[in-house]
Amino acid sequence: MDQVVFQSVRKIFRHRPALFNWLGSERGGETVALKDVSFSAARAEVLVLLGPNGSGKTTALKLISTMLLPDAGSVQVGGFDARRDAGEVRRQVGIAVAAERSFFPRLSARENLDFFAALDEVSRRERAQRIQEVLRDTGLEEQADTLVMKFSSGMYQRLGIARALVKRPSVLLLDEPTRSLDAATTAHFWATIRTLARQQTTVLLATHNFAEAAAVADRLLLLHRGELLADRPVGDEESAEALRTFYFRMTGEIDEAMGAIHRAGRAP
Amino acid sequence: MRLWARFIGRDERHDFDDTISTKMISTTMISTKMTSTLDKLYAILRRDLLTAVRHRSGFVVALVGVFTELAAFYFLSRAIGPSFRPGGIEYFPFLLVGTGVYTFFVMSAQAFLSAVQEAQQTGTLEVLMTTSTAPAELVILSSISAFAGNLVNLLVYLFAGVAVFRASIHANFLSCVAVLIFSLAIALALGIAAATLQVAFQKGSALLWLLSSGLWFLSGAMFPIQSLPRPLELLARAVPLTYTIDGMRRALLEGQSVTAMAPTLALLAGFGMVLLPLALAGLSLSLRRARQDGTLSFY
Repeated sequence: MDQVVFQSVRKIFRHRPALFNWLGSERGGETVALKDVSFSAARAEVLVLLGPNGSGKTTALKLISTMLLPDAGSVQVGGFDARRDAGEVRRQVGIAVAAERSFFPRLSARENLDFFAALDEVSRRERAQRIQEVLRDTGLEEQADTLVMKFSSGMYQRLGIARALVKRPSVLLLDEPTRSLDAATTAHFWATIRTLARQQTTVLLATHNFAEAAAVADRLLLLHRGELLADRPVGDEESAEALRTFYFRMTGEIDEAMGAIHRAGRAP
Repeated sequence: MRLWARFIGRDERHDFDDTISTKMISTTMISTKMTSTLDKLYAILRRDLLTAVRHRSGFVVALVGVFTELAAFYFLSRAIGPSFRPGGIEYFPFLLVGTGVYTFFVMSAQAFLSAVQEAQQTGTLEVLMTTSTAPAELVILSSISAFAGNLVNLLVYLFAGVAVFRASIHANFLSCVAVLIFSLAIALALGIAAATLQVAFQKGSALLWLLSSGLWFLSGAMFPIQSLPRPLELLARAVPLTYTIDGMRRALLEGQSVTAMAPTLALLAGFGMVLLPLALAGLSLSLRRARQDGTLSFY
């Protein structure tokens, strides 16, 4: 059975300008973030959502996590509908979002994880051990008792991943998880994702990093301007370069990119 | 029943079955749920306490604020003179209880609102809404923590008024606790209403400012409501905080028993039973709308 099912999902963000909009120039109207997108992810599968900024990757993850509700279509996790059974869906899903500042600054990393683990109903008996494990997996053991207000961007990002892992979700959602990480931590993290998949966790990872997609993906979804352009498997030997070529061929962005480079006088 | 079922995160249809085995399972589940809820409450209280103590200067500033405010009220009552005894009570103790209880209500709601605003700014609110804890449960537990912190401030305020400024009290502590407990649902409703406005329109602080100004004027914190023109006095009688302040004065300054105060306590319970479900329903609606519009982290 598919662990995550996205069926004909449409998400529109409506912009309602301020009352005295003549004072400024706020844009009204709406942005269609996802246009009738359908896909599914099987248990233990690593699904990579690839696409440029604004393609709808983060919106898709937020819809699965129940942070957002769809305007049309349905989102299901483990057979539960994200709109009707949001509580059950939240029990199964762990999410690490891209802009990580979502912690309590005057608590240490360990105290933050303990707080979120309590809200995720991780029993008190298991909590300390699980927290120690995720701190080790994310390379934060040494900073475990440092207040997070003193953390760098990369450390925040690692803590976000640790928080998503501590509840041991059956579905893990990661939004640009390695954006602020150094090379060694990134490589370690990719290995962690593959280990989680072997342990039956379904992983959905949004990125625009081809190397990341090539390193971890079982399957690739290519999103572009809210539409699903491609849904295909990624071979074990498939390189980042091959994915890059595929991406530019599908999106047609190569012409725009080359045009910009030509204009800057740096054409190869 | 529906509200409780929603609070514990289950559909009420499944909770109250007739068969003994289902009842036993339900009892076990409710017991587990209670343990889990207490664990969450502990986690929230611990988070807020740690955050408060790590703002090292916060306690000192709060303490200086308490003494400055008390000194102002003490000298105001001296300036007015001993002949002004609203309801037969000396003016300084009258002010002490009125302003103490008013501040407890408003500052608790403010603390809770600030926590929601801060969570929006840092993005924590979105993440909190993806945990296994139902939003209504999370909000109630968080507001309990905000009120617990301000209860300590209220006790310090009253203790300083008595110990330093020699306010005379004749307390019936059981009645005091009863007034506080019966008023808690009203206070929670106020905090949740402010949070609802914050989530829905990003303007919770404006509502709170409006409400706190109105309550300052109408609740009898500074002067007896009988001094107001008749229409305003009637309006003041519709304000729940009026009964909390009046009840606390009678319990703390006149030593009235719980039995003597039964009508006031019943009125406070009635207000709470109406306002809290209304506030929770409003919050549930505003959270749903924010998830639909993608405005959960807007501020």
